[in-house]
Amino acid sequence: MKCESCQEALEEYLDGELGDREAREIAAHLAACSSCAAETATFAAEQELFSRYDRDLAIPSSLWEQVAERTATPAMPPVSENGFGARLVALFRVPSFAFSFAAVALLVVFALVIYATYLKTQKPKPFVAQTVTPRESSPKEQPPAPVPSSSAEPQKHIALGNQNSVRRKLHAVKAINIEQSDVLSSDFGVQDIEDQETAKHIEQTQNLLQSIRNVKLNDNDVEIDVSYDKALSRRLLNENIVLRRDAEMKAKYPTKMLLSDLEPLLIDIANLPDQAKPEEVRVIKDRVQKTEIVAALIGY
Amino acid sequence: MKRLALDELNLEAQPGAFAGILMNSSRDLVTRVCQGDQEAFRLIFDRYSRPVIGFIYDMVSDRELAEELTQETFVRAFRAIHRMKPETKLSTWLFGIARNVARESLRARTRANMQVTLEHESVMDVSDQKPVPVDRLLSKELNELIRRALEALDDDKRLVFTLKVFHQCSYEEIAEITGFSLAKLKTDLHRARAEMRRRIQPYAGVGYEV
Repeated sequence: MKCESCQEALEEYLDGELGDREAREIAAHLAACSSCAAETATFAAEQELFSRYDRDLAIPSSLWEQVAERTATPAMPPVSENGFGARLVALFRVPSFAFSFAAVALLVVFALVIYATYLKTQKPKPFVAQTVTPRESSPKEQPPAPVPSSSAEPQKHIALGNQNSVRRKLHAVKAINIEQSDVLSSDFGVQDIEDQETAKHIEQTQNLLQSIRNVKLNDNDVEIDVSYDKALSRRLLNENIVLRRDAEMKAKYPTKMLLSDLEPLLIDIANLPDQAKPEEVRVIKDRVQKTEIVAALIGY
Repeated sequence: MKRLALDELNLEAQPGAFAGILMNSSRDLVTRVCQGDQEAFRLIFDRYSRPVIGFIYDMVSDRELAEELTQETFVRAFRAIHRMKPETKLSTWLFGIARNVARESLRARTRANMQVTLEHESVMDVSDQKPVPVDRLLSKELNELIRRALEALDDDKRLVFTLKVFHQCSYEEIAEITGFSLAKLKTDLHRARAEMRRRIQPYAGVGYEV
């Protein structure tokens, strides 16, 4: 081995980092080369010098006490002090009410996003054509058109077997495009998203109640198909409860009162059988007319 | 020729490192801490606080700050001990935390201030003195000499030099603690030794005959 190679590997050799074969080669060279051996001696003297370095550091008794105080609670699941997660957690850590507020805010935002997404996925609503120009519309001008029943459904065969039975679809004009519901909302000039949700809800409820109010009941009718209206009413009822509570929390008392008035009607419609008897529908129809709830909704 | 890797050999060779109960292996202590045994953590502290504070002191050159950062190191260790991999040596792991804590602290200082301090107080003052052979240096003077020479190293070189020379860590352990590649740490270590030699040589005399 040459001196150059030996000196290149000398530090690693003295640090004990060389493999056995290389270390034996270095040792053999050092035994034969006085120059490299002197270099080794210098290195060893350096190491000895540094080993005398005394920082004179004592561990104060208070140090453990401070550590113990900060680690008094059992070791928690690992949380990085420097990581993104820790920083995120720190944002919500202090003060305690800030966390609660943040959590509530997040829940509200989340609920609104879900609700908005849900509304977008809803099927077209009936009688929107009436609600676009509500004050000009007349119940008599827009009677629900009877829809022929499908002969494929056994239950409807029974109904059709009796010539006196008339099957009515209360949502006969639901095919009319309802995109104008957005126009209705913008007509209200509503900026706040919650107010927009309330406006949409009231509009849909108004359509439902108008369809109930306008239904023409024939004494010869055996049953009336209200399955669609029933399902719609159930959905509106759930929305109504949420919006009513929200209005109450935000001290929007007129809205809260209006929504409170709607609830009994929605409950009754939701509890109708799919094939309702004319008397059952008539009771609800009369209540809608007496309470003039539709007028109140239009005026909202 | 590879050095025997006895568990915590390096740290337990430090003065006071046996303050804990020797019957408890580091692995046992870690397990006990994870089970909520505060006394086990006390034993870890007793065993490793001295080498950790020495290491941090070498990095920050401030006694009070070193105590404060040692406290922070053990608090972080306690909170993260669940994450410690079974194959990791406790000493290496603790040094890794201490290194992070020290580096965060160093980062807070302005580099310019450090350089001014080193240029004007430490190295230059010592260099202006008439060299005294190292065997005539009192231990206090020797300590001051080494401390100032250490301060003059840049952070990376001081880190690897301290771990290798004062704490006898293997290259592999240094790489684990620092995150440096083997090539970088070898280069840094070689340069750090050369710089230290250059600063101490005037006082050490030929061959460091101490």
